[in-house]
Amino acid sequence: MRRVTSRSTGVVALWLLLAGFLLLGALPNQTASIRLGGLSLLWWYGGVLAPVMGVLVAIRWLAGPLPAPRRDG
Amino acid sequence: MTSVSRVLAVWLTPAALLAVPAALATHAEGGLWLGLVLLLAPLIVLGLPAAADPRNDRGSLFPVVTLLIAVGLLLWANIALAGDLAAWLGARRWQGIVVAAVSGWVLTAWRPLRRTAPLLLAIALVAAAAPLMQVGWATGLGPIAAWERVAAQPAFRFPAGSPWVTTGRALASVHGRAPLVFEEVHRLTAPAGGVVRARTLDGTRLSEIEWTLAPGQSVTLRSGDELVHGALRLRFEADKRVPGAPPSGAAWAEDRPRRWLERLGVLVTLLLGAAALLRAGLTVRLSRDGAGFLAGGLLLAFGWAQLWAVYAMLQSPDLFLGGVTLERLLEVPGAALFAEPWRRTLQVFLIAAGLALFLASSVALRERLGALDPTGGGEIGRDPGLWAALFGAAALASLWPVDPWTLTLLALGGVGCALGPATMWPPPPGRAALATTAGVVGLLVFATLAAAQLRGGGDALLSGVIGYPALAGGPAGAFVLWLGRRRAG
Repeated sequence: MRRVTSRSTGVVALWLLLAGFLLLGALPNQTASIRLGGLSLLWWYGGVLAPVMGVLVAIRWLAGPLPAPRRDG
Repeated sequence: MTSVSRVLAVWLTPAALLAVPAALATHAEGGLWLGLVLLLAPLIVLGLPAAADPRNDRGSLFPVVTLLIAVGLLLWANIALAGDLAAWLGARRWQGIVVAAVSGWVLTAWRPLRRTAPLLLAIALVAAAAPLMQVGWATGLGPIAAWERVAAQPAFRFPAGSPWVTTGRALASVHGRAPLVFEEVHRLTAPAGGVVRARTLDGTRLSEIEWTLAPGQSVTLRSGDELVHGALRLRFEADKRVPGAPPSGAAWAEDRPRRWLERLGVLVTLLLGAAALLRAGLTVRLSRDGAGFLAGGLLLAFGWAQLWAVYAMLQSPDLFLGGVTLERLLEVPGAALFAEPWRRTLQVFLIAAGLALFLASSVALRERLGALDPTGGGEIGRDPGLWAALFGAAALASLWPVDPWTLTLLALGGVGCALGPATMWPPPPGRAALATTAGVVGLLVFATLAAAQLRGGGDALLSGVIGYPALAGGPAGAFVLWLGRRRAG
């Protein structure tokens, strides 16, 4: 069975962020167009929240282990 | 090619970056999706597990050739954009092309300048941020207030200070494909005279009419009439609706019927393109700082694109005339906001940002190609003759106007279908030929559909797939990989 790495967690989280945008846009009654604090919900999500979350996910989960230091001798 | 700045420079070519504000201005939802995918696709791809031995790809010439063609297409798209910009700013098209192509070639050919991508990216960031802050300060509106103002516009109208109103411009300088349909009575003046052609509604019948105007003479078009693009310089009326603009700010901001296939097409094309450009044949290890810098850089670019689109729509609604095109986004918005020489200075900043980003991309693309060299020594990346031919061919091709974003999608989709599936789903060790077979099949399917796209045609479902050929090319390559694995298993 394949081991779940922190990178895989990060990739899944990034996919979920993308899916969230499509889901929000698909909500009935133009829910995504509701204005909140000046911006539409869709813009809050797609332009602010998801990009910032994407950065946090990248910092938290996408960094790979650095190569082990070479041992001399 | 693991340096964060080089990954950023390969991915964020000027044409790719400017496509986001152009899409945002055209429609909020579609632009947000494009920007979000452009930001997250490289992160998803760099987070995928590494191939057992990425050097497997180095035995084959196929990845090198496809990547070379993709790099050529990307250079072509960006050099063509430089030509469009030069023509838009009143210079000759070839002048912009020569400046971009020669400086790009010198940078890739001259060894001491090859490690300048981080510096060039920093220059691009500062030079793009300065005009943005200046425009924000001059309008006196923060980002959210500016967005609110745009979304509350009852209509997008020509400002009195617009060059389309004051001096007039030739419609030939508008490369957009949107029809110039008028929604209200509009008087057009030909400052130098000439022939105006329009399709007018006569009852329910559409007829083409031609007027020959003396210098300074005007013609009035009615609601529903369509102006035919031409080389004639025309002046529009201030405070009249811009033909081709959304009906209102609310219509721009609100939902519209979902275009699922289009969304999927953007996602698949950019994801496969990112896999091919940033991962194929490479082992990429990001440190925590590196991941932060990369994601932060992408976030900054997306943030800039959003703000630039909003301020441009607010201050220069004439941007919509005939459809939003990339080169017009490199114009400082709001002709009345800045007096000379400040306006020209800000313009120089924007052009410097675009050129620095293009040069950073050229250097990074050269290095990317060199990293895939089958000899392992990166000779392809060091051959000045090859790069002179590549820049020369791209410059020659750029003499004819093309849509830089369509070319970028073609490059990303093509190389994505050829190399993407095997990069994201590597064949077992020792089966490098399977990756090549899958790549050839994916590329053939992509090329067939791209040719159909160029010929135009198709409808409904088919037109969606033809519009984004990677929707069929990527899965075709993946299917071949699956078949090969099954037979081997």
